[in-house]
Amino acid sequence: MLKNPASSATGLSRRSFMTGTVSAAAAAPLLASAAKAEEAAAVHSRLREAVAVSLRINGQPYALSLDTRTSLLDALRDHVGLTGTKKGCDHGQCGACTVLVDGKRVLSCLSFAVMNQGSEVTTVEGLASSDGKLHPMQQAFIDHDAFQCGYCTPGQIMSAIGCINEGHANSEDDIREFMSGNICRCAAYPNIVAAIVQARDQTRGT
Amino acid sequence: MDAAAPKPGENQGEPLPRIDARLKVTGQAHYPADLPTANIAYGALSTSSIARGRVTKLRLDDARAVPGLLDIVTYGDMDKVEKPKFGNSGATSIGPLHDRTIFHDGQIIALAVAETFEAAEEAAQLIRAEYEEEKPTASFDSPGAKTVDAAGKNPMHKEDVKAGNFDAAYAAAPVRIDARYSTPTQHHNPIELFSTTAFWQGDQLIVHEPTQNVTGWKVELARQLKIDPANVRILSPFIGGAFGSKGPMTPRTAIVAVAAKRLGRPVRCVTSRMQAFGTQTYRAETRHRIRIGAGRDGRITAFAHEGWEVTSRADAYVVAGTSATGRMYDYGSVLTHVSLVEADRNTPGYMRSPPETPYVYALENAMDEMAVTLGMDPVEFRRINEPKVEPIGKKPFSSRSLIQCYDQAADAFGWAKRDPKVGAMRDGDWLVGMGCATAIYPTAAAPCAARVRLTSDGDVRVQCGSHEIGTGVRTVAGQMASERLGVPIDKVNVEMGDSSLPPAPVSGGSISTASVCSAVLKACDAIRTKLSVGATAEGRPLAGSHNEELDFADGKIVAKGGASAKIEDVFKIMQVGAIDEYAEFAPKGATPGALKKLYAGQPEFHGGDHDEDSVKYAFGAEFVEVRINRYTREIRVPRIVGAFAAGRIMNTRTARSQLMGGMIWGIGQALQEATEVDGRYARYVNRDLQDYLVPVNADIRDLQVILVPEVDHAVNPAGVKGLGELGNVGTAAAVASAVYHATGNRIRDLPIRIDQLIA
Repeated sequence: MLKNPASSATGLSRRSFMTGTVSAAAAAPLLASAAKAEEAAAVHSRLREAVAVSLRINGQPYALSLDTRTSLLDALRDHVGLTGTKKGCDHGQCGACTVLVDGKRVLSCLSFAVMNQGSEVTTVEGLASSDGKLHPMQQAFIDHDAFQCGYCTPGQIMSAIGCINEGHANSEDDIREFMSGNICRCAAYPNIVAAIVQARDQTRGT
Repeated sequence: MDAAAPKPGENQGEPLPRIDARLKVTGQAHYPADLPTANIAYGALSTSSIARGRVTKLRLDDARAVPGLLDIVTYGDMDKVEKPKFGNSGATSIGPLHDRTIFHDGQIIALAVAETFEAAEEAAQLIRAEYEEEKPTASFDSPGAKTVDAAGKNPMHKEDVKAGNFDAAYAAAPVRIDARYSTPTQHHNPIELFSTTAFWQGDQLIVHEPTQNVTGWKVELARQLKIDPANVRILSPFIGGAFGSKGPMTPRTAIVAVAAKRLGRPVRCVTSRMQAFGTQTYRAETRHRIRIGAGRDGRITAFAHEGWEVTSRADAYVVAGTSATGRMYDYGSVLTHVSLVEADRNTPGYMRSPPETPYVYALENAMDEMAVTLGMDPVEFRRINEPKVEPIGKKPFSSRSLIQCYDQAADAFGWAKRDPKVGAMRDGDWLVGMGCATAIYPTAAAPCAARVRLTSDGDVRVQCGSHEIGTGVRTVAGQMASERLGVPIDKVNVEMGDSSLPPAPVSGGSISTASVCSAVLKACDAIRTKLSVGATAEGRPLAGSHNEELDFADGKIVAKGGASAKIEDVFKIMQVGAIDEYAEFAPKGATPGALKKLYAGQPEFHGGDHDEDSVKYAFGAEFVEVRINRYTREIRVPRIVGAFAAGRIMNTRTARSQLMGGMIWGIGQALQEATEVDGRYARYVNRDLQDYLVPVNADIRDLQVILVPEVDHAVNPAGVKGLGELGNVGTAAAVASAVYHATGNRIRDLPIRIDQLIA
């Protein structure tokens, strides 16, 4: 009996899906011609080759050399050293990795770094002013104790800013609904809502 | 004003913001996998796809061919180190790479190490195993499940508690109920992923890993690796949620340490969310049978609680919540029994209120059923059965404010407006139900050490090897030092989460605030004594004053008559620059070897129901409103009120947040959380945050926490009862009670979902 331990019936991750797709693509042409198979294998190996990726993060340009499979999240954390953005699931299910890309909230674990060439990425490290003054959302999270362990907090804060930008913070019900993609396992939810209301009212019209 | 910062009542501390709040909102709080580490290699786990059998062959060629692959650690590579141990600091005795036997699905079979995360993941997924597979036992009722008495199998459960003659009292009782309840498998799912980063500097091993127990892990990891514990340092400055999951060390830690040694460079392995379900611990499923006999006046005369818990074949993990449920009310007679059911599963472990969550759920659901059977208000039923002493050992409670909690919560909730008739309350298409239940959690403390330094400039440094898992312990430890030394909180720096600091017990069992604050208090008082002697000696500014009459406030030492001396001036007079005190706290009843054991990572817990003089518990009462759609049976919880009494509250802000989080956990346990186990393969099915449901923002609306003032000097010097695990006890029963009130359906098996209401 031979089994692939990593891909059980329920266990298809984004990465195994990627390699799986490539393998399937590689397997089919084998029937057709060896040349096509070689070509497919070359594609597979090119996937692992480093590519040059230019990103603007918190207003600074970065020139990176990355595996094409590197997520924006891993690029930020492992290659740029901005570890404020957190990995909580790597599947787009928890929201801890939320950043702003061109002002819109994005799950950085579901976006390959190479897809963000030339985009403006804002992370939690880019919110406070250079003089150390906190963004109103950061201050509101402190004022309302909108976290406990603090791990989901960068994602909550970025998502909350995105939520207001989208016009989805008009009522507490709206906030609850449009912030439900960010899980807080410590369950600071009522405090998160209160913080967003405060920051919304402070930033409205600015 | 601000709900997050409740005005302190009697014996309650100021709602200071967390001292690490700025770090947390700016992304500068470094969790273990964030700590900068140069020249790092990445590890990825490969895990078994069967639950029982043997690995006969591993095919590694495809994995080795991945560009950037550096090493694969697998069978044979761990032979020179010791197997893990179960208990205290160890999650399981299963040494996954010591033995080709497969004990459970998702067991580690190899660690692939590569130059990049992507290459490590690719290689791990290309590792192919061949198995000799046997039919696994998944859970209760599965073929091959072995049921054994729990008593004596684990030091946590020495015997089944009992009192009086249950059989006779139950037979004689005019009103009786006999009901069965169950709770499902649950996984902690802290949002921070589990990870290990290990590197060696000569003989020194440094490990960055989120843990609730740096000292215990240092000792256990050193034992496994056969090195001196002095050569192991565990760093965990911030922990991204724990809930018990990061208490015991799992086998991965030593495997990563071995990989780092072989490679001669740092290795980091971040476990995927999916793999965590099988490689970490979890709350096992439980079953309960409860019998209650009572007179028509509502007085309980007989109580029996039988529990069944799933554990692994390798380890006898047991929670046995009967020691708490058996002491909760004035029962007359008590009979309890706990059984373990062994299955082909990974070993369970502590999860927020491990015994109380399932066992008190069953008890409180039964209490509600009995109140209904008696035709009595459920609050009144509990009031009638309020004990003067606990029924097992006939000891008094050190303090018990349960009725005050019920009264205050009922008042805030508007319980008096509830129409007790089932299905009587409606709002349009919504059936409205209201229910309540008791929360209880044992109050314990353990030995703890702390070092406090006060400089002549008024700067304070507190060092303690405890853990900031989100409870706010760093803040309240700083607050204790600030209060005792009379310096502002922004002059206090608190270091935690490092095994090279003075040892603290595991951050579990809701003991941290009591244990840490008691040690910090002791160190601060030693500093006060030195300064007091310096200030009151002959010819000194406060000469003639008695030490015990001095107060420390606003940077000054203030004598009874109002005379004062600036602390910085006293330092000058004494000709010292800093006073540094190392203190060891041991709770009442500690054995002569208790402090030595603290340094060995084996802290003794005292309190709860273990003390001679009294039993020590914190109490609460929770009231919930549910709304159930009359057509779809969608269940919502628009309102929840909890009142809790837990001795001295160090900080009303962090206390409220913990209780709030607990109550929301309780709502999740009532309506959402369950790990589904595939009975055919003994495999967890919903291994991610999409399918393992936890409360999200839209699930929670009005939530109110009431902190009922309580003074209890018997529990520990700080007068603190733990409350981190109190909030989620009883909640699920309150929801079940409300669902019954709305619909007439008594749901006994958690979680309560729509399908159970469409019968």
